[in-house]
Amino acid sequence: MKEKVSFRLNGRAISVELDREMKLLELLREDLNLTGTKCGCDNGVCGACTVILNGKAVKSCVTSSKKLEGADVLTIEGLSVSAVHPIQQALVDSGSVQCGFCTPGIVMELHALFTANPGAEDAEIMKVLDRHLCRCTGYEAILEGAKVARSLVSALLKR
Amino acid sequence: MDCLYVGKDFQRPDAILKAQGKSVFLDDIRLPGMLYAEILRPEYAHAKIISIDTSAAEACPGVVAVVTGASCSYIYGDNIADQIPMAVDKVRHIGEAVAAVIAESTHQAREAIKHIVVQYEPLPVQVDALDSMRPGAVLIHEKNGEYWHLPAIHPVPGTNIAGHYRLKKGDFEQALAEADFVIEEEFNYPLISCAAIETHGAIVWFQNDGTIECWSNSQCPFIIRDELAHAYQVPSAAVRVRVPEIGGSFGYKSDITIEHTVAWIASHAKGRPVKWVASRKADLESTLLGRGIRTRMKIAARKDGKFLGIQVRSYHSTGAYADTGVNVSHAAGHNATGPYVFDHCDLQSFTVYTNTPPVGACRGYGHPEGQFAVERLIDMLARKMGMDPFDLREMNYIGPGSVNALGEKMYVANGSVRNCAEKVRKALSASPKPAEDERFFYGRGFAANMKSPKGAPFQTKGCILKRNKDGSVTVTIGGLEVGQGLRTVVQQVAGEALQVPPHKVRVNFEVDTLNSPYEWQTIGSMFTTMGGRAIVRAANRVIAILKKNASYALRCDEDFIGYDGQWLFVLSDPDCRIAVNDVALGYMFPDGVTMGELAQATSDARLPRYSGFDENGQGGAGVSYTFGAQGCDLRIEKSTGKVTIDHFVSCFDVGKVINPRQIRGQVTGGVLMGIGASLYEKLEIGPDGKITNPHFGKYHLPTASEAPRLSTIEFVETPDVVGPYGARGVGEHPVLGAAPSILNAVYDAIGIEFTDIPVTPTRILAALKLKGNGK
Repeated sequence: MKEKVSFRLNGRAISVELDREMKLLELLREDLNLTGTKCGCDNGVCGACTVILNGKAVKSCVTSSKKLEGADVLTIEGLSVSAVHPIQQALVDSGSVQCGFCTPGIVMELHALFTANPGAEDAEIMKVLDRHLCRCTGYEAILEGAKVARSLVSALLKR
Repeated sequence: MDCLYVGKDFQRPDAILKAQGKSVFLDDIRLPGMLYAEILRPEYAHAKIISIDTSAAEACPGVVAVVTGASCSYIYGDNIADQIPMAVDKVRHIGEAVAAVIAESTHQAREAIKHIVVQYEPLPVQVDALDSMRPGAVLIHEKNGEYWHLPAIHPVPGTNIAGHYRLKKGDFEQALAEADFVIEEEFNYPLISCAAIETHGAIVWFQNDGTIECWSNSQCPFIIRDELAHAYQVPSAAVRVRVPEIGGSFGYKSDITIEHTVAWIASHAKGRPVKWVASRKADLESTLLGRGIRTRMKIAARKDGKFLGIQVRSYHSTGAYADTGVNVSHAAGHNATGPYVFDHCDLQSFTVYTNTPPVGACRGYGHPEGQFAVERLIDMLARKMGMDPFDLREMNYIGPGSVNALGEKMYVANGSVRNCAEKVRKALSASPKPAEDERFFYGRGFAANMKSPKGAPFQTKGCILKRNKDGSVTVTIGGLEVGQGLRTVVQQVAGEALQVPPHKVRVNFEVDTLNSPYEWQTIGSMFTTMGGRAIVRAANRVIAILKKNASYALRCDEDFIGYDGQWLFVLSDPDCRIAVNDVALGYMFPDGVTMGELAQATSDARLPRYSGFDENGQGGAGVSYTFGAQGCDLRIEKSTGKVTIDHFVSCFDVGKVINPRQIRGQVTGGVLMGIGASLYEKLEIGPDGKITNPHFGKYHLPTASEAPRLSTIEFVETPDVVGPYGARGVGEHPVLGAAPSILNAVYDAIGIEFTDIPVTPTRILAALKLKGNGK
C-alpha cells in the first residue's frame, strides 16, 4: 500500500511515495540521493544524521518518514548551495574537521540552535553538542568553532 | 631548524568539502547495477553448522543469490593464514559470517536474510584467554599450528595458543636475587572498539573481463589488492582497490578485515558491483575489536630505586582468528617495559584463541595495554619503597646510551622522556591539588610513555611528485587520510622541500592501487616519518632534474646552480638565473629546440634497518622511537562515584611540530579515546559469547561534556634523524598515558588500587563502600 507524503525539502516542495515504514535518513540517502547526511549508529545516539525538521534539529535515523506531511526539512545540502556557510567556516578554521564524518550533523545542530537563539549561552552549546559523537577531535576544537560560529551568525543577523 | 612552512598552521585541503557533506565516503558511492548484501550472523558463539537451508530466502523478492561458505576453499592471513571469508563447518564467534543474501536493494536483502534456516550443534564457549589456556579447554582451531604463518610467530599445536612470544634479555632470576624490592600485580585492559563514527564497508565488482574492482574504507588497499589477487588467482595488476574518504579508523580499518567476505559474496553475482556496509552492531561484532589483554607483571628493584628486572606474562584474548591479533600480543610484550631501562627482561605474551570477535589494531596497540601495567605498578612500587613515584621513574628513564628490551641502543635523536616528564610535572604543579571537600575527592596522577616504531618487512611508503610549469605541485601518495591530517602534512612537507607555498601543493584524495604509488599500509603513526621522508626524497630528485634542465640555459655545472623555489641561479652570480617554471618540462633553446627531463620523480622510504627478531626477541624495530609523558588532575563525586577530568596534561617529544593546530587536535582526540577506555568503554561479553552492548546506546563513547575541562599540550622538539625536518608521528601516543595516569590519580584521591578498566561510577561507589569511606 503506497502512501504519498508531500513536504518541503531544502526550500522546494517535493512528494514521495512510501510503500513501507522508512526512516527519514534512508529516504534522504537512498531514495533522494542526498548523501551529505551520514549514518553512524542507526539508533539515535551519534548525531551524524542530524537534519532540521520544522526548525528543530532531529536525528533522521529515528524519524519516521510518514510524519513528514507538510513538514519543512533542511539538510546539509540545503546549507551548502554555493558559498561556505559561516558555521562551516568557523568549524573548518578551528580545526574541528578531522575525518569529517560527524561534521555535517554538527553543522545542522548548530544551525538549528543559532537560528532559534543567536546568542545561545556556552552551556546551551555544550548541551546540544552532547547529542553528537566525534571520535577524532576530543571536542575542544568543535566547542571553540561553535563559539566563533555563534559570533559570526550574530554579526550576520545584525547587518 | 628554521622552516618556511613546517611548524605553522595551514588549513586541511579536505575540510570544506567535509563540512559541506560533499565528500564521498564509501556508503555514498552509487554504481550502475549495484547490488546489496546482507550477512547472517550465528545464534551461538561456538557451534558446528549442521545444515543451512537457503530455499525460502532464495524465493524472496529481489534476491539475486544466497551465499554460504560451503564451497569456499580458501583461507587467508598476512601473519597467520587462519581466516576464512565465511563459515564453512563451524562458527567460532558471535559476529562470524554464516551466509549472505545479495539483492536489488538493502531492504530486500534484509528481509530475505530472515528466511535462512541454520541448524547448529553448540560447542563449549571460551571468552577469556585464561579460560582457553586451561587444560581440557576445547580447541577453537583443530588445525592450530598447521596454518601458514610468518617465521617469528610460534603457535603451540594441540592448544588454543596461536602465538607464544618470548623476549629474553639478561637473566631475570639474577635480578630477583639482587633485588631489595619485588612487586607483582595483574592488570586488565578489556576488549573495546575503535568505534570510528563511519562503520566498515566495501564494494566488490567481479567484472566480465576478468578484472576485480573494489572500493573499501581501508588503510591497506595494497594488501587487499594482493589478497584478492591471490584468492581469485588473477594478477595483482588485475585488481583495483580504491579508497574514498575514510570516516575515522583508529586502527581497525587496517589489515584486511571485511573485504574477503564481501568479495566471496560478490563472486556469486559476477558482472555486478555488490556493496556491504556494516551496521553499528556488525561493526562492533563482525570487524575487529581492540585490546583484550591481561598483563601479569613483576618488577625487581634495588633499594636505591634502580630497576633491575621486569617479568611479563601477557594473556591476549585474541578472538576467533589470530591473524590480526598476533602483532598486538607481540607489541604488548616488548613495549610493556615502558620508557625505562631494565637490564634483565623476561617478557612473554600468549596470543590465545577465544570465542570472541578477532582483535586487530587499535590506536597504539600493545602499548596502552602493557604500559597501563608498568605505569600503575611503578606507582605501587614507589609506595612500597617509600619513594616519590615521579622521582623513582626519573632514576630509571631510558635515554642516550642506554639499551632497550629489544637490544637497541638509544641516541639523543630518539628524544627525551625526561624533558617531557618535567614539562608535565611543571604544568600540573602550577596549581595546588585541591583538598577534599564535602562533594569531591581530588587526585593527581602521572604516567610516562614510549611508542616504538611499527615496521614490517617491505613496509615502505611511495610518492610521485610533479612540479608543474605554473608553479603548482602535484603529489600522489598511497597513504590514507583517516582524519589524522596526513594531507596537510604532505602539503607542508612538499612545500618545504620545494620552497613552494603549501596551498599550491595538490595531494590526491582517493588512493587507488592502479594509480597511486605502493604503500604497505598507513598505520602505526608512521606516515609522517616514512611518507614525509619519501616526499623529501622525491623533491630532492625533482630539484636535481630542474638543475640539470637549467644547466643548459645557464651554461654552468649542475652542482653550481642554486634553487629557491622560484629561480634557478648561478651560485656565484645570482642575477644569472632562469625561472623554475621555464624549465619544468625541460629547457627550450632560443631556436625552439627542447631538451631535458620532466620535473617529476618517484620515491619511497622505509624504516632504516628494521629487522626480524632472533629466538630471544632481540632485533631492530626501526630506530624511530617516540617518548612522552602525561598526567591529570581529577575529581570524584562522593555521592555518585563520577569521575571528572579537570586537567589533562600531555607532552611528547615529536622532533618537530609540523602543524600546531592539527597536532593539538590529534592529542585532544587521542586523550579522550584513552579517557573513554579508562572510564566508560568495554565490550560486555557474556559467558555464552554474546555481546550485550553492541550499540552506542550502551557502548558509551565520551561526549563533549566528558572531555577534560582543561587540556595542556606541550611538545619537546629533539630532531629525529629519519623523519622530515626532524619530525616524528604522534597519532597513537596520546592514548597511552590516559588509563595509568587516571587510575594513579584515582588512587591518589581515594586510596583504592584499581587494576582494570573502565573505572565506572558503580565500581568506585562499591569500592568506597567496601573501604568504609563512602558518604
